[in-house]
Amino acid sequence: MNDEKSPETKMNRREFLGLSALGLGISLAGARPAAAARLPAPDDVAILYDPVKCVGCRACQMACKRWNKLPNESTDPLRIYESPRGLSAITWNIIKLCRTEVGWHFFNYQCMHCTDAACVAVCPTGALSYDPMGFVSLDRNKCNGCGYCTQFCPYGVPHLQVANPLTGAAKSAKCTFCQDRIWAGIGGPSCAEICPVSALTWGKRGELLEKARARVTELRAKGMNARIYGETEAGGLHRLSILLDEPEQYGLPSVPKTPGLARAWQRVIQPLGTGVFGAILLGILGAFLFVRRKIRMEEVR
Amino acid sequence: MTVQIKGRPEAIAIQWIPKYTFVERLGHWLHTATFIPLAVTGMALYFPFLQPLAQGEAGLFLRMVHRIAAVIFGLLPIVYYVLQPRRFIMHTREFLPRKEDIGWLKAAPAYYLLGKHEAMPPQGRFNAGEKMNGLVMIVTWVAFGLTGIPMWFGKGVIPPELFRWLVIFHDLAMIVAVGMFLVHLYLAVAHPLMWAGLVSMRFGVISAEYAAEHHAKWYYGPQRAMEIWEAKKQEAAQH
Repeated sequence: MNDEKSPETKMNRREFLGLSALGLGISLAGARPAAAARLPAPDDVAILYDPVKCVGCRACQMACKRWNKLPNESTDPLRIYESPRGLSAITWNIIKLCRTEVGWHFFNYQCMHCTDAACVAVCPTGALSYDPMGFVSLDRNKCNGCGYCTQFCPYGVPHLQVANPLTGAAKSAKCTFCQDRIWAGIGGPSCAEICPVSALTWGKRGELLEKARARVTELRAKGMNARIYGETEAGGLHRLSILLDEPEQYGLPSVPKTPGLARAWQRVIQPLGTGVFGAILLGILGAFLFVRRKIRMEEVR
Repeated sequence: MTVQIKGRPEAIAIQWIPKYTFVERLGHWLHTATFIPLAVTGMALYFPFLQPLAQGEAGLFLRMVHRIAAVIFGLLPIVYYVLQPRRFIMHTREFLPRKEDIGWLKAAPAYYLLGKHEAMPPQGRFNAGEKMNGLVMIVTWVAFGLTGIPMWFGKGVIPPELFRWLVIFHDLAMIVAVGMFLVHLYLAVAHPLMWAGLVSMRFGVISAEYAAEHHAKWYYGPQRAMEIWEAKKQEAAQH
């Protein structure tokens, strides 16, 4: 290398270092922070459902619709016990009828507000997020309608309100723990507030767990095979339930296993892309700077 | 065809031979014009640091652009097949790997980094690197379709478990395709030895000299190309 060329080389090196730092920066920015390893705090808010107290009056469904201004939904007139058919974009709370070993039971189905939520993990917009109080909140303004949450939730809770099936214009919808009521300090979730028999109650998660344990002891003394669902499932749910049979009898997964693929997407596939593109870009940059010194266009035919 | 500048016939006299048809070139650039928006709009849902772009109305718009571009991107090869089926089949066949590709790949680093051309075995209309690019594009085009179409129309119809895998495979296909695209872009635009590629993708022709040097099996035919190559090797060994 002759003297004339050396300043150019120096520039190259500086460029190279600068651009490498940029590449590295992009790679690091691409790595999503590890999902909340937080445990549900006793001070978190939660809902407790006791199916033994529930009389299936559906006041919770009505209260949910009224507070959240959700329209009516047509239903199957032959299915009088479950109406509407299930959760949808305009039905966020529903009483299901479940057959268990000990007979027919009502079961209130709504968002479980997981601590380790698949929907939050896959949401590309941050519309679904963890509220500091523990529940999974939904900001419809941020939602772009991609619908990943509807496909990754192990409970099948979020639903898309589709405006146009062809363009994909849509908004996700699900129980928000009546986040507007909570944030405004008006009170708790409208379903729990209205329940006339206290089958649905809300409060601090730690206190509700104690209440649930006492209730389980009481029900077991009466000979029922009672258990708590939601203490540890999916990192700990903020919708606790007392069950009298296996979770499957209530349409609940024993081990909500979906976050596996959501995690794979978040922790393997996304960093993989970042790594691959970072490596290729750095390689190209290196090749570019190397080749422009080694191969001269004047000599190329 | 020989291009000559008036008054200075001796200065530039390049003999050009045709390489791509008009349909192929238009198809290539429409593919580019849809692939880039597809990659950009898709990545907004993929990279967490692009999250602000994916939110709300902007996100809805990106998803719509993704779909419009996807339709064109998906139809282009089919249109190509309909318009020029023989070219399509010939083109696809040329992408199939052959034995001499290994020798080419071994010699490629010295060629691309240092400009050493001697060890490169004679290649057909596409060299092993271009074939790799072509095969990756075909495979990922199929993968994008197989995963993207059910994600578009099958949400709520297909089992969620399947949908989750489709998301993962769509992303994997994207990583492969965009990775290949970055290399392709660099070689086409910035690499000094690859200048002929951009010319032939714009004008459909390649200089005969370049073709003889880089695509000997296509220019001379397989047998003659090998003879010339062997002769060159012997000559080099004698010196």
